[in-house]
Amino acid sequence: MSLSRSPSPHPVGGGWSSPGLTPGSGTSTPHSGFLSPNPLGPSGISWATAKAKSDEVRGYPSFSTRNNGFFSRSKRQISATLPSFRVSSRLPNGYIDKDEFGRARPFSTGGGWRFFCFGRTMLRRRRLRFLLALILVVVGYTFFWTSFIEHYRRSSFGGGSKFVIILESNVEGGVMELKGAREWAVERNSVKNKQRYAQQWGYELEVVNMLAKKRYSHEWRESWEKVDIIRETMRKYPNAEWFWWVDLNTWIMEYSYSLQDHIFNRLGEVAYRDINVYNPLNISHPPTGAYLDDVSRSPVGNGDPSSIQMVLSQDCGGFSLGSFFLRRSVWTERLLDIWWDPVMYEQKHMEWEHKEQDALEYLYTNEPWIRSHVGFLPQRHMNSYPPGACGDGNNPDIHFVEGDGDFMVNMAGCNLGRDCWAELYGYREYSNRINRTWRERMQDQAKELYDKFFGKKKEEETPQE
Amino acid sequence: MQFALPPRRNLDAPLHGRSSRLSLQRRKQLKAAAILGFALLVIYFLLSQLFYSSTGTPAAPAGTPSLVIVTVLDRARWSRDYIQRITKNRDDYAKRHGYTNFFANLTDYEPTLDNAPRSWSVVPAVRHAMASHPHSKYFFYLDAHALIMNPSKSLESHLLQRSHLDSLMLKDVPVVPPDSIIKTFSHLQPQDVDLILTADNEDLSSGCFVIRQGDFAQTFLDIWFDPLYRGYNFAKAEVHALDHIVQWHPTILARLALVPQRTINAYSKDSSGAGVDGNYKDGDLVIRLFGCDTDTKRSCEKEMEPYYRLWSKTIEK
Repeated sequence: MSLSRSPSPHPVGGGWSSPGLTPGSGTSTPHSGFLSPNPLGPSGISWATAKAKSDEVRGYPSFSTRNNGFFSRSKRQISATLPSFRVSSRLPNGYIDKDEFGRARPFSTGGGWRFFCFGRTMLRRRRLRFLLALILVVVGYTFFWTSFIEHYRRSSFGGGSKFVIILESNVEGGVMELKGAREWAVERNSVKNKQRYAQQWGYELEVVNMLAKKRYSHEWRESWEKVDIIRETMRKYPNAEWFWWVDLNTWIMEYSYSLQDHIFNRLGEVAYRDINVYNPLNISHPPTGAYLDDVSRSPVGNGDPSSIQMVLSQDCGGFSLGSFFLRRSVWTERLLDIWWDPVMYEQKHMEWEHKEQDALEYLYTNEPWIRSHVGFLPQRHMNSYPPGACGDGNNPDIHFVEGDGDFMVNMAGCNLGRDCWAELYGYREYSNRINRTWRERMQDQAKELYDKFFGKKKEEETPQE
Repeated sequence: MQFALPPRRNLDAPLHGRSSRLSLQRRKQLKAAAILGFALLVIYFLLSQLFYSSTGTPAAPAGTPSLVIVTVLDRARWSRDYIQRITKNRDDYAKRHGYTNFFANLTDYEPTLDNAPRSWSVVPAVRHAMASHPHSKYFFYLDAHALIMNPSKSLESHLLQRSHLDSLMLKDVPVVPPDSIIKTFSHLQPQDVDLILTADNEDLSSGCFVIRQGDFAQTFLDIWFDPLYRGYNFAKAEVHALDHIVQWHPTILARLALVPQRTINAYSKDSSGAGVDGNYKDGDLVIRLFGCDTDTKRSCEKEMEPYYRLWSKTIEK
């Protein structure tokens, strides 16, 4: 109360009122009597509280003694028509001694409560129970529902723990270049983005440190760190099935897509195994060797989606390993094992600019056992590019399209002459906008309306939906 | 409530009729729920069984040979007589034990070899045999310059039986002789073995091995046949590639059993480079005239002559 803080007593009806100064004190503030049940202490007894206390003793609240609402006014009539089920300490016919009532509930509210009081029937109890249950449900829903859902998804029933997101961070940290504020911002935001997604769906998130290590560089195997990290992660999460490698410069746009619904429950429909569907590398497919078995010579492997052990996408230049899935299997172990081979790399390390990506392309081309277990997703299904990567943004097979529900944007190659942080920021803002909750949406709409009516122009608000 | 109490069903019912009726009702409800739950469980189980059974592997058709002997013949360079001896020797052995033979033509694979040494043809030949006999379990590659000398020994009893293989497997020894730092796994179990190899005193032997049909075989053979290995100019072509793969890739090593050389790969006395106790002795399953084709001073046909006669005598008995 601002009044009580003022140094001098306020002339009319404030907290400093004393009997001499306030005229008509018999009708003094109702709440001062009702909201201060306890005396203020020996020193702080105001006149108002003293009065309230005496009211309470007499059983007559200082206000509302007469005609305080419909129920008390017509109490007699109502109670006379109601069947009286029980006889309690109260007097019959619904008559309530005001003294007794006042003593029993000195600070209870007015007439409505009184009405409920004599209806202590089965009906009322049920209603009360129902009300209580409703309150519980509402409270439970508002406070615990999200965490309940998250827990469920994380549990073995929800299946969320079958997925592990491996996010690279600290790429070549500390050795090749110093990290500035922008690099830190990219890293921080990207990690947060994946954290939010992983938490929502109960997935595991493994942020891995790609610190440049001597043991990789002295054997020309810098990027084979990826392989080692995937192996380590597989060991760390022995119950997970799919491992999703995600580059740092990526942004998950749609938190509402689960990996199960978006990809794996309908892998057979969304993935293509015949690379001729989109074949920027012109790999001749299927393999034609007469000595090969039928599955190896088939363009689609054995045709069963459950035999797909690796899911990746292709960009304009071939395989894209900015975002790919590996399934825990013997096949995957073998692939990770063969991915780096000294004899192959010795011959190719000058040519294989993109290291493990080129090596995988090579292996895919030359070793049929790999082909029959690789599935490709259309690029925009999980790996949309921004303008600047693979052309300037007008290819609907490659580039992110606003409002088209792209799952993830990969700012591939943004560290080569483009501004990673600016791009990431733009996509972050866009994804925040499309992922607003209904409350935020309402707020924004209200704000928009307000701005419209009162003429305030807000430049960053753009029309939505 | 002013309803009359329900008539007592029996005299044992407790006096407090109200509570007993309630518990009876509750019991009925519980029973119904339990039955419903049980029924649902049964239905779920049955359905899952139904869908599970539909994803089994198809059974092998009757009469499928359990083992296929793979031999690569160079019909362009070898005399017809020589080839006939080789095929006769293997046919007899296959007939005795219910195996079958896969004679591959080297010329079939020459286009795929890309000018790599002809000895590389072993790899596509085995893969070819696997594609032609998709239901056979084991594939025994035997170099053409070799004879099966003891046809009464079946490969199962001699090598492939689990207990037998377990006793034959060399564990924790250098996988490539004489002193590779990579050693065969000491905890290898015979049921995990997909590839059975031998070694002479220098290298693993690519001239005589047993491989089991399956994913591993495809992987292993495809890796082995990789163009970058074929084009690398390994001094001993596919043999060195094999040495290399086995030492660098633990997923291959984990499926590999090394057995003593004489088990399936005894060298004749003219052949150099046999490992310790690797030379042919009477009663061995196989004799190999190792190196007779690469050494210009030797002649495979001439060297095989005495052993072939010995073998003919054995089978006439």
